[in-house]
Amino acid sequence: MPEIQPVPLPPLGAEEISTACDYCVVGCSYRVWRWKVGAGGTANTAVPWANPSQHNIVQWQGQPHHVLVLPDPHARAVNPKGNHSMRGGTLAQKCYNPTNKTRERLTTPLLRVKGELQPVSWDTALDIMAAVSTHVLKRHGEHAWGVKAYSYQYFENTYAITKLALDAIGTPAFAPHDKCANSNDAAGLDDAGLEAFAPAYEDWGACDVLFLSGTDPFETKSTLFTSWIMRGEVPGKTLIFATPHRSMGVAWAEKRGGLWLPVIPGTDTLLHNAIARVIVERGWQDQAFIERWVAKRWEVDQGYGRGTRNTPSQWRTTWGTWQSDWDDFRQFLLSRDEHRLEHAARITGVPAALIERAAVLLARPRADGTRPKASFMLEKGNYWSNNYMNSASFAALGLICGAGNRKGQVIGRGGGHQRGMISSPGNPDWLSPEKHPGRRKKPLNLDRWLMDGQLRFAWVFGTTWIGAMAASDELERHIDRLTRGSPQQPQQATVAAAVTALIARADAGGMVLVDSDIYPVEPLGTRYADIILPAATWGEADFTRCNGERRLRLYNRFCDAPGQAQPDWWAVQGFVRRMGFGDKFAWKNSSDVFEEAARHSRGTPYDYFELVEQARRERVTGHEYLRRLGGDGIQTPVWRQGNSIAGTVRLHDPLTRQGEPGAFRNKLLSAFNTHSGKAMLLKTPWNFPGWSEFYAAVQPRSEKQELWITNGRINEVWQSGFDDIRKPYTATRGLPQMLFMNPEDARMRGIETGDRVRVSNDMVYVQTGMPFGVTESEMNFNSLLAAGHIRITQGSFEAVAVLDPGMRPGVAKAGFNGRGSHANAVCHAVPDPMTNNYRYKLGRGRIERLAAAAEKFDLKGSSLKPRGLA
Amino acid sequence: MHAHDEPACQSRRDFLLNGGKLVMLAAASAVTEAVWAQRAGHAPLAIARLSALKAGEPYYFEYPQAGDLNMLVKLGVPAGGGIGPQADVVAFSTRCTHLGGKLQDTLQAGLQVLGPCPRHLTTFDLSRHGVVITGHATASLPQVVLELDGDQIRAIGMQGLVYPDRSRHA
Repeated sequence: MPEIQPVPLPPLGAEEISTACDYCVVGCSYRVWRWKVGAGGTANTAVPWANPSQHNIVQWQGQPHHVLVLPDPHARAVNPKGNHSMRGGTLAQKCYNPTNKTRERLTTPLLRVKGELQPVSWDTALDIMAAVSTHVLKRHGEHAWGVKAYSYQYFENTYAITKLALDAIGTPAFAPHDKCANSNDAAGLDDAGLEAFAPAYEDWGACDVLFLSGTDPFETKSTLFTSWIMRGEVPGKTLIFATPHRSMGVAWAEKRGGLWLPVIPGTDTLLHNAIARVIVERGWQDQAFIERWVAKRWEVDQGYGRGTRNTPSQWRTTWGTWQSDWDDFRQFLLSRDEHRLEHAARITGVPAALIERAAVLLARPRADGTRPKASFMLEKGNYWSNNYMNSASFAALGLICGAGNRKGQVIGRGGGHQRGMISSPGNPDWLSPEKHPGRRKKPLNLDRWLMDGQLRFAWVFGTTWIGAMAASDELERHIDRLTRGSPQQPQQATVAAAVTALIARADAGGMVLVDSDIYPVEPLGTRYADIILPAATWGEADFTRCNGERRLRLYNRFCDAPGQAQPDWWAVQGFVRRMGFGDKFAWKNSSDVFEEAARHSRGTPYDYFELVEQARRERVTGHEYLRRLGGDGIQTPVWRQGNSIAGTVRLHDPLTRQGEPGAFRNKLLSAFNTHSGKAMLLKTPWNFPGWSEFYAAVQPRSEKQELWITNGRINEVWQSGFDDIRKPYTATRGLPQMLFMNPEDARMRGIETGDRVRVSNDMVYVQTGMPFGVTESEMNFNSLLAAGHIRITQGSFEAVAVLDPGMRPGVAKAGFNGRGSHANAVCHAVPDPMTNNYRYKLGRGRIERLAAAAEKFDLKGSSLKPRGLA
Repeated sequence: MHAHDEPACQSRRDFLLNGGKLVMLAAASAVTEAVWAQRAGHAPLAIARLSALKAGEPYYFEYPQAGDLNMLVKLGVPAGGGIGPQADVVAFSTRCTHLGGKLQDTLQAGLQVLGPCPRHLTTFDLSRHGVVITGHATASLPQVVLELDGDQIRAIGMQGLVYPDRSRHA
């Protein structure tokens, strides 16, 4: 137990600065009180109560200042009355203070010389990068120069990074933090015409029944769950969870008449279709909504509802598998044997009575003829197990229940990170060597490109890369081979020596690795990076982004960045100046980037172009205008209304007004995102070989006593793990990688709670090469295997076992992206051929007990209790 | 600057034995560097007789001030800070450290768990110094420091900050 530290009170007159949380998608409003250390004055006792986790001492303009960082007690929008999670509730402790563990922040650029990282100047680091990049681009082409970057860490940075990669360099070798390619997340939603972040938080509060697939928002979106789902306009709503783990939100829901559908990993599509079949068989579908808002045959046929364009969604029509209208979809549900209750129950592992009960709760009209308002939320447990089919079948289930464009009747993602990506124009996907069958381009798989030795220079921004991607061990082996394993290593900390060595490495088939981050990242930065750049982060520069209901805020600067740390947009700018195209990046400050990016937000759900226009009319910067909107900000898309601007509560809602005549119109505001403005029903046949061949291959093998090894987010470390290991309370609490196991599965293996276990899979499939698809079946698993495009590798990780009766038998769950314990190591790096996204949730492994872990007996450490103790 | 990077923790008894003394809450202080609260010894209070405790049955008492409701319980398994021959008798504040929800009547004795809090569902592990199992609190549940004198159980201090009763502190 740490000593409890005194928490000082701010004096009257202490500065108050609004901001929003750095972590999860919910994006709660926060308020910072800042005052100089040693300042006298009368204590302000009206400030909300603060505990030691909410106080810190930071440098501000070179002087030590106290800060209290508290959930905004006046918040109206996101976290009413100052609700918060453990992550946000300890934000103050993430701020740099060299007297505590935040002293591990990167404060200067580093160069690896003779295997050891040495401090160098920004000029030296950027000069080396520019010289090596110039050579790589000239000698090996833009394909050999790649970027792996977060998609969320503020508009200013993501815009600068994508402008560098996609526009200035023009490389197809670009992938965001959570994907191996620059692809859609939940592509089935997109193809149905649904924007993933169309709903507002009030919608999740205003439904009568909420179907949650592959997520427990208690764990991952805490304040959305506790302020809106548990409460909101309909506090008595019924929750239906489809997930193999009965975590706290699930357990709470069950106690209140909700349902837990303990689905076998990967089978959600069949679960959705079986529920939909019950609804349709009994005539409970929302026929009036379907008639008005679901595309009819001719609207379907006009290019999948999107016109005839050379796009992935257009391509997906090529083989005629998916697109449907109401009559055809109904026929699909009713005619296929696997949608029958008994059949679906056997494959999904969800009892028939529960499937039927879910249909009743979602769609059975009441005695007076009214329908329950049903909403549908999905997250990664859904779309990272069967990417296209799970999200497409989920959308169809929601649509037949009348959800998608009305208050309390919505379909969307709960969200992971906040929405901080504005992508620069430039679409070098046409340079990608990957193709769907037929002639359609597919975004490039950056992991495979690297493993195949095609990448000679990689710049990583704020992601672990290795632990975040599938087949982590195999990926790490290749990164090791291409960097540390190369004989060409800088021997002196001079520009000339480093450039010579690194160019020689690139020419010899190796890779030069640059890692921009706030802490040394294990192992990517600590073991493999040649150059490390120190980034300024939350609170250290003015930044902007949207949260999970498109609420745009300014994240104010309130403390100095450590040492020479700079925001990533600044590093990009310094780099491109040395590359000779700096005039396209002539920003003077963070707001300049924000304002330039505005025009590229148009037409997207995060459109704030009119906000910047309004700021110009009022002769203030974009950031300054947003600063005035405080913690509640404004929901994008922003549109002009008279002499002012207005935000948008939810997308697709026909009741939303469309701004001034002549103003830029955004179809998303009042219609679905298709050519016709109507939503698309998509069929998802269970035996589609792009799925079924892979699913058969990755089943746990009984002869090896394997279980499904899935992974998920743990509330207290979700998106904050890099800070949690340095915050006093969360660090003391202990953060072991946990493996939640059903007690019977554990007993059969002689495993108790607190035992250290090793999870290993000796057959981790990794797709290799860049095979062209020509014929229909060519990119499916069996064809790839026969053609030699599947490599068999091994992967393992260690964890502390926690016996949890809320874990479905046959399935064990680890924390995602654990520090030093990559649960993704036992997952297969063979993407969904429809979308090029991995199926991260479908690992498998044999579990062996190693020994009792220290945590087993440490009564001062972390709790090892099950999660769902409602 | 404060040192937040604390050395390995002293036991609460060590703290008390090494000069810990009464530190009253000072929210009303005019001094801006005022201390709101910290771990502290308080005037001892006789709570219950060890021999009268039944495993899993909570006993409620107010400490250190009137209105500060705590729960004494014999868990039946050894616990951090536990007293008695099995080191299984512990006492904790019943006020959730997240936003002050009332945790009385939420004891899951067989699991050594207090919670979920009726307000936002945080759970606390009573066998491990009240650490958060899952939820939103940014501090462990305040633990009452206990002392055993023969059969008599006494409260002698608190470890951790009790979420304030706003009517008294704000």
